Amino acid sequence: MSHYESQVREPLIIGHKTYHDITEDIARPIENKSGKLWWLAFSIALVTFLYGLGCIAYTIGTGIGVWGINRTIGWAWDITNFVWWVGIGHAGTLISAVLLLFRQKWRMSINRSAEAMTIFAVVQAALFPVIHMGRPWVGYWVFPVPNNFGSFWVNFNSPLLWDVFAIATYFSVSVVFWYMGLIPDFAMIRDRAKKPFSKKIYGILSMGWGGKAKHWQRHEELSLVLAGLCTPLVFSVHTIVSFDFATSVIKGWHSTVYPPYFVAGAIFSGFAMVQTLLSVMRKVMHLEDYITRQHIELMNIVIVVTGGMVAVAYLTEFFVGWYSGSRYEDFTYFSPGAAVGPYWWAFWALILCNVLIPGLLWIRKIRRSFFWTFVISIVVNTGMWFERFDIIVINLSRDYLPSGWTMFMPTFVDVGIFIGTNGFFFVLFLLYSRTFPVIAQAELKTILKSSGESYKKHHTEDDHHHEH
Amino acid sequence: MMAYNRCVGTRYCANNCPYKVRRFNWFNYAHNDKFDFNMNDDLGRMVLNPDVVVRSRGVMEKCSFCIQNTQAAILKAKKEGRRVSDEEFKDAVACAAACGTGAMVFGDVNDAESDVTKLSEDKRVYRVIEELGTKPNVFYHVKVKNRTEKQA
Amino acid sequence: MSTKTIYGIYGDDEDLLKAVKSFNKEGIAIKEVYTPFPVHGLDKAMGLKKTRISDAAFFYGLYGTTLATLMTWYMMNHDWPQDIGGKPSFTWLENMPAFVPIMFELTVFCAAHLMSLTFLVRNKLYPGAKAQNPDPRTTDDKFLMEIESADVDKVKEAFINTGAEEVTVRDLNLA
Repeated sequence: MSHYESQVREPLIIGHKTYHDITEDIARPIENKSGKLWWLAFSIALVTFLYGLGCIAYTIGTGIGVWGINRTIGWAWDITNFVWWVGIGHAGTLISAVLLLFRQKWRMSINRSAEAMTIFAVVQAALFPVIHMGRPWVGYWVFPVPNNFGSFWVNFNSPLLWDVFAIATYFSVSVVFWYMGLIPDFAMIRDRAKKPFSKKIYGILSMGWGGKAKHWQRHEELSLVLAGLCTPLVFSVHTIVSFDFATSVIKGWHSTVYPPYFVAGAIFSGFAMVQTLLSVMRKVMHLEDYITRQHIELMNIVIVVTGGMVAVAYLTEFFVGWYSGSRYEDFTYFSPGAAVGPYWWAFWALILCNVLIPGLLWIRKIRRSFFWTFVISIVVNTGMWFERFDIIVINLSRDYLPSGWTMFMPTFVDVGIFIGTNGFFFVLFLLYSRTFPVIAQAELKTILKSSGESYKKHHTEDDHHHEH
Repeated sequence: MMAYNRCVGTRYCANNCPYKVRRFNWFNYAHNDKFDFNMNDDLGRMVLNPDVVVRSRGVMEKCSFCIQNTQAAILKAKKEGRRVSDEEFKDAVACAAACGTGAMVFGDVNDAESDVTKLSEDKRVYRVIEELGTKPNVFYHVKVKNRTEKQA
Repeated sequence: MSTKTIYGIYGDDEDLLKAVKSFNKEGIAIKEVYTPFPVHGLDKAMGLKKTRISDAAFFYGLYGTTLATLMTWYMMNHDWPQDIGGKPSFTWLENMPAFVPIMFELTVFCAAHLMSLTFLVRNKLYPGAKAQNPDPRTTDDKFLMEIESADVDKVKEAFINTGAEEVTVRDLNLA
């Protein structure tokens, strides 16, 4: 008896679906015209994107002085946003890669969109290392390319260089992993396409894929190896990002808990963003049968676990800050300190959004609720933004010499660029949802017979007939 | 050490500096009438030192210990085939040369005979945030407060 | 009798697998099978050899590590070593811990990209390639078995006996 899955597991595909139904459900949003809601969302996203673009142009044209940063606090919203977006991106890779290695079949209806989210998030993240430079027009100097300066090379000792390699690898490998999975699905769209233009575009995108047995064999092996490569990649990339801080001497930054803390935090915020996007997507694109309560519950469990790790990291930092007896650590943690110093509001926002509210996900009813999932996911992402802001700005504002202590005030340009990246992200995601198959339908078909609701019911009846 | 021409302006160095002595060029200060630092017309620019490059927007800078002047002293001595004397180094650095009371002394720490080396071997020497291991080039002498005991 | 191409379409993956096994028993050589998703056990039933693409990935990764090692050694220790904050630049081994992130990332980069390129090349996939499946329904929910044989009737009977929904006979495509 093939395709058997235990009755204890909830069905991952609800309703009486056939392979053809899956094809139709995934192809429909691409083949039909989009509704008013899509156009409304797209217009808002486009406008904010263009505003952000304007702010970026202003920054590059006039100088970093148009931002609120100063002599003491050299990084604020720029790197907060960079780390926030990179962190968000990590969930997609985790869902595609790590959950594949763990044979978690529930990943199949969410991995395509989660990976799309990763790629679009990393696009936003990649903007910041470029625009935060004082001289972005010579930014290419970070690459080890032979040149006329006696071939002046880059400094591989610097965490910024490690970042260059890590983000470049992460972005390109994520795109490749996503694309390799997309090829069979593009082929599905191509084979159904009636309009010659559609047929041509999807024909090019699908590269002639025909689903030959040997090709599927290679495809499965490729996916496994890419998953095996992407798993350490996810861990290493955010570890390297954490090294930007952990390898410095600044109190509050120089902490060995940063690598696991950052990785857990990245997965935490990434899954929250997936929840935000999928909660809306499933309703608007009528994919409720594929993205079920079971899916959001499992993702919420990951959120509550990684949120717990993040909370433990906070405790660790405060404990070690006190235990070390260092006066300088006191500045950051206790006196004036994060909780009661001038940035107390940022600190308590962090505790509320990252520790207290996600704690509600321990309650089963809440983590199985689509509404509360959506709300809490936005709260978590807000909290994670504050976490990076707190790490960067609070620690810089209260470092070694009190003569340097100062506050930071964002300008409209800081805010504009951040909002602009959100707009850009949604522009990309909305375009993706209309033109790409948003669920890995070929993969999903492989579990229809084992995890589809109607097949599970059928198996139960079968069991009663054949007493074994 | 700071090389202006290679700086892309990430400000990472300034964030890491525990002394916060690094300054960033936030805007174009030259040829920019929003600022008046004598750099907007040819006449004003004559105020500036022609030997020191004007840093462009987006570049980080800090005290360079008047490297242009110290290098000039070294090269002059090299051309004349002799060692640089301690006096020449003392005059090369603008702040130390200007200081009338001798509160600031500059020199070659590798030269065992120079004033600065003798001062660096004093028991009163300390460096700011010494425990970080930054080994800065600037050191201070602890102020002697119990003068009566010292006189005794 | 000339050799013809015979297509048999199945509507279910389990039927397809049974058919493949049955064809093997009858000694009918299967040219190709087109499915909308990877069917578990199909490659073994068809006697396909294990793919060596993962072995290739290992060597590509090794290449990446070597490239990173050589690059960092050449640039930081050999061509223009500099005293940057007192970091050791006299031997590569002393400086190596700082290079680990670079080495790891380049390993993953080369392994992933070169393996994916190999995948595309081996499968003859490229932008602008003609669709390889003879029937567009095979990306939807149909499973197509392609046989090349001169004994058309035997093959047709085998298809019908194993539950094929459709059987089509075509002249051999010599393209």
